[in-house]
Amino acid sequence: MLSRIADSLFWLARYMERAEDTARILDVNYHMLLEGSRRQPYRLRWEPLLVMAGEDQRFKQHYSDANATTVFDFLAFGADNPSSISQCIAKARENARTIRDYISREMWEDINGLYHAVNRFGPQEVGAGPHRFCNLVKFGSHRFHGVSDATLPRDEGWQFLRVGRFLERAEMTARLVDVQYQNLVVTQTDLGALDNHQWMAVLKSVGAYEAYHRQYHSPIEPERVADMLILHALHPRSIRFSMTEVQAGLRAVSGTGPGYYANEAERFTGKVLEGLRYDKIEEILKRGLHAYLHEVLRSCRLIGEDIARTYFFYAVVA
Amino acid sequence: MSPGATKVFQPGLFEAYDPSQFYDEMFSAPGTPRPHYAGIFEKLASLAASQFEERRQLADVTFLLQGITFTVYSDGTGTERLFPFDLIPRILPGTEWERIERGLTQRVVALNLFLQDVYGQQRILRDGRIARSLVYSCQHFRREMVGVEVPRGIHTHISGIDLVRDSKTGEFLVLEDNVRTPSGVSYVLENRLVMTRCFPELFQTHEVLPVNNYPAELCKILRVISPRTGEEPQMALLTPGIHNSAYFEHSFLAQQMGIELVEGRDLVVDGSVVYMKTIRGLTRVDVIYRRVDDEFLDPLTFRPDSVLGVPGLMGAYRAGNVTLANAVGNGVADDKAIYAYVPDFIRYYLDEEPVLRNVDTYLCAKPDDLAYVLEHLPDLVVKAVGESGGYGMLIGPASAGREIEEFRRRITAEPRNYIAQPVIGLSRVPSYDPATGRMAGRHVDLRPYCLYNGDDVIIVPGGLTRVALQPGSLVVNSSQGGGSKDTWVLRGEH
Repeated sequence: MLSRIADSLFWLARYMERAEDTARILDVNYHMLLEGSRRQPYRLRWEPLLVMAGEDQRFKQHYSDANATTVFDFLAFGADNPSSISQCIAKARENARTIRDYISREMWEDINGLYHAVNRFGPQEVGAGPHRFCNLVKFGSHRFHGVSDATLPRDEGWQFLRVGRFLERAEMTARLVDVQYQNLVVTQTDLGALDNHQWMAVLKSVGAYEAYHRQYHSPIEPERVADMLILHALHPRSIRFSMTEVQAGLRAVSGTGPGYYANEAERFTGKVLEGLRYDKIEEILKRGLHAYLHEVLRSCRLIGEDIARTYFFYAVVA
Repeated sequence: MSPGATKVFQPGLFEAYDPSQFYDEMFSAPGTPRPHYAGIFEKLASLAASQFEERRQLADVTFLLQGITFTVYSDGTGTERLFPFDLIPRILPGTEWERIERGLTQRVVALNLFLQDVYGQQRILRDGRIARSLVYSCQHFRREMVGVEVPRGIHTHISGIDLVRDSKTGEFLVLEDNVRTPSGVSYVLENRLVMTRCFPELFQTHEVLPVNNYPAELCKILRVISPRTGEEPQMALLTPGIHNSAYFEHSFLAQQMGIELVEGRDLVVDGSVVYMKTIRGLTRVDVIYRRVDDEFLDPLTFRPDSVLGVPGLMGAYRAGNVTLANAVGNGVADDKAIYAYVPDFIRYYLDEEPVLRNVDTYLCAKPDDLAYVLEHLPDLVVKAVGESGGYGMLIGPASAGREIEEFRRRITAEPRNYIAQPVIGLSRVPSYDPATGRMAGRHVDLRPYCLYNGDDVIIVPGGLTRVALQPGSLVVNSSQGGGSKDTWVLRGEH
């Protein structure tokens, strides 16, 4: 497989995942915050979303006030925001376009159709309620993976899609938990019912609300939410699950067996997974959740860099 | 309709349709369709405007989803526009097509023999059948190719020969040869696909010859020209990248043939062997179907500022370690001045009379022709010899005195660089005019795609019909507001 194609597949999946995750978070928070609004100023609640997207500084260059309209506009459509949903979809499509010969015709038509559908939306249409837009993106991403799974051979290309998708998801979930835990537990302890309301939002934004109740049969407790989103072995949006997928994808490409590693990307993945498999949430909280997640995010960055060094941009010795 | 009632003629979308003085591909006289168009006419005339509009929108959506669009940057947002597609097919009866096929076959073989000769023994130059100076002064003559023997002697693996039907005589004439990197074949395939989706019933009542074997036939040729015999050849299509207007076609063909789509930056030459960079290191490449022009192929040989090419590619090609399709240097054969000699090539190399005639052509390089051209500029079409895509053209009757004087100056300064032809009244096909919601006659040409494997010429039935959608326009190029139509060749007699 051409290095350039592997590179494009990896980023295609990353952008698609980022778009989906942002849409999920926006959708849930938008509706949750409408309910909580009478008791809490918007600003307090909307800023964490910007931090989560890693774009709070950029936001301040363009807007003075973080409220439902400005934050949604910025994260969904911001042309100046490289992580906005519409920019992610545009970049996903651009990557797909450069590998049209590799991906299936159905994959291309689907992602191209999603791009045009997203472009037809603007802040005006969303004013009536952003759910339709967020759902379009969320299900667009589901369909993308469905069509990919149904039409692509399970060769290295598919593995690069898998690695890109889950590496991005691990990062998004880590940021989500980090920011919300910081926001809800560490800095504000007196919110009571609203707090519960917010944790519900966190769970819902990763589609884990029902799973949480099935698992714990208890009211929403921050530690358990963190446990579930970081350490759950089987929930498809937990960091552990995501990193397990990254590892499986990388091993499928290199042919490495358990207990060994072929490159730095695999070594870092293995290291992170050791912790995720054997640490308990109490231990993590005791050591400091923020530091722990910070380390996970750093590893994810190193993994991404080494994948590029190993497979995409290695020096050609002629 | 009650039993015994006579069928009432319903012109529908064809109300007030005027075939006018041009050859109309559908009608032999007002209201009288030609036999091979009778079924289509009846179907289309029975449609209400709204029903037709529905199918038109289905076609547009299909093209949009396929991403068969080009981007307009002028409004600052990068709007994507569709290449206009007109739903009324261009139909050729089987018998007429057979004659065209014979004409194209002899022309392609003769062009290939000319290229072999001109870069080889140069028999035709020694025999004085064409002036050495005319050949050597072609912009696209590549002296780097002299003495290079290409696998199986094939230079013109893929040719696109532009034909037009002259309204005066009803005869198909060759307007232009394209043997460098002709594009458009993907539209032949896509137009057909869309047409079968929009009008499935028409394909049940008409026996339309299929076109979808093109990628497989092309792939067969790429396989047999591999320099490494006995090994499974590694083939690739070299594209300038996604910003090229034909990028859709490049990715489409690579996908259909199952070969790698590569950009210059994916390739590297080492020891006169071409490799591509894969996730597992370097992999040798044997055959490159290149859609990059000669001058951009290799910055070490041609334009040093090219970033689209591969340094050292020409060295590998000349060493016989990689085969390029089409061959380098083909531009000497589709130079518009050389074009005038192609009928002579057919006589010289094949000892046959050309089946398809050329459009009468005046070579400004010849003093007598030059004098005639300068005297009759307002009546002629003038073309720069090395250009394509409708650029560098003067259409005398449609031009202002100022433009004509500008061309007079250019021609006088560089006569070798220009040819002139009488204005051909291109035939017309009814086409839907969204402004009026009716059919109107629009001028068309025809570009069949010919594949050559060294023994046979394989031509997909029909080709690309380009249509000048602007009322009265004779320019069919997409860069100038042209669109396209599905082209049908019907099996058997009509």
